[in-house]
Amino acid sequence: MTAPELSTSASNDESLLARYRSGDGAAFETLYARHRQGLYRFLLGLSGKAELAEEVYQDTWLSLIRSTSQPQGRANFRTWLYQIARNRLIDHWRKHGIHNPLHDSYDEQAHAVIDTATDPEQLLSLSRDTQRLETALQTLPADQREVFLLRAHGDLDLPQIATLTETPLETVKSRLRYAQQKLRRLLAEEVLT
Amino acid sequence: MTDARKTPVDPVIEHFREHGSDGPPSHLDAFILATAHREAPVRKPSLWQRWVHACQKPRWQVAFASLVGVALMVTLVQRTPEQELQYDAAPAPKTSSFAARKEAPAPVARSLAAPPPAAPMAELAAPAQSESLSAPMADEAKVSKRSAAPVKPLDEQLREVIRLQNAGQTQAADELLKTLHQRFPDGNLAARLKALKKN
Repeated sequence: MTAPELSTSASNDESLLARYRSGDGAAFETLYARHRQGLYRFLLGLSGKAELAEEVYQDTWLSLIRSTSQPQGRANFRTWLYQIARNRLIDHWRKHGIHNPLHDSYDEQAHAVIDTATDPEQLLSLSRDTQRLETALQTLPADQREVFLLRAHGDLDLPQIATLTETPLETVKSRLRYAQQKLRRLLAEEVLT
Repeated sequence: MTDARKTPVDPVIEHFREHGSDGPPSHLDAFILATAHREAPVRKPSLWQRWVHACQKPRWQVAFASLVGVALMVTLVQRTPEQELQYDAAPAPKTSSFAARKEAPAPVARSLAAPPPAAPMAELAAPAQSESLSAPMADEAKVSKRSAAPVKPLDEQLREVIRLQNAGQTQAADELLKTLHQRFPDGNLAARLKALKKN
């Protein structure tokens, strides 16, 4: 590995973006390799449709390529990227008249109780394969699913998720906790079978 | 900002990270990377690179060559007078000529000691050409000018001494006589003056 390549791989996301903006194409490749899988999984899990996830995924990266803006304030590149993707998905829903599930309001506690009473047959059919994990994710309310996906695939911490979703930190914590409890129960039951 | 990696990760999250979907299809990766390379901003050349690039363009080459030519000509033009200046004499300051005139003896004595210039204001109204002459040449010119001027005969100057003595200007008469003694040390001026007085 040459010195510039080593430097590129060791650079943080913000400096890689700045280098790409100044004409360094290799910096974008490194940036893309770091975030391609997490961002795609986040969009696939949130939208539930591969075609839509691919469309928004492509749109997000192209807007980043063609934009000259940078992460603002305390936001780092990762938060900024996921914010763009989330906004694009919400725009798509709005444009096509699809109800935005992220705007659903519900009682977190009550929903947690309901989650524990999910259909046993559905839980038993889950397994470790990718398709069934995706199905388990889709059983979560959109708000909980979003927080879980941002934590699992976006690798964002809770304050970052709270900032990105414009939600109080305590609400984010409870959403993540409920999501993890439900998924843990689903996976444990799956192992037992 | 809190580092997400330091936060303890729940096993469920780890499970989904390990067994989640693979990622975007390869054709999407290829399309995005190709677009990124195609639309990457053009790297800004450094100032030096821009200068070299500009110099490679024909019209800038002409301009640059013209500039160098003009600079060369200016340099040559400026150097030529410097060489001539080596032969130039610094013009005598006017103050010195006035000072010399002030320090000079009485007008009469001066007129006798050295022959007067051809014209009274000649020194002040001297043409610039004479100022540009070198110092030795200027001295030679002065000497030749003095030699060319008519020198008063001894008798005439002695008669001037007598006239001054008769007029009561003994100091001036003595100074003139002293000057004549210096000029004509072998002239036996006393005898000559006596003879003139008799006449």
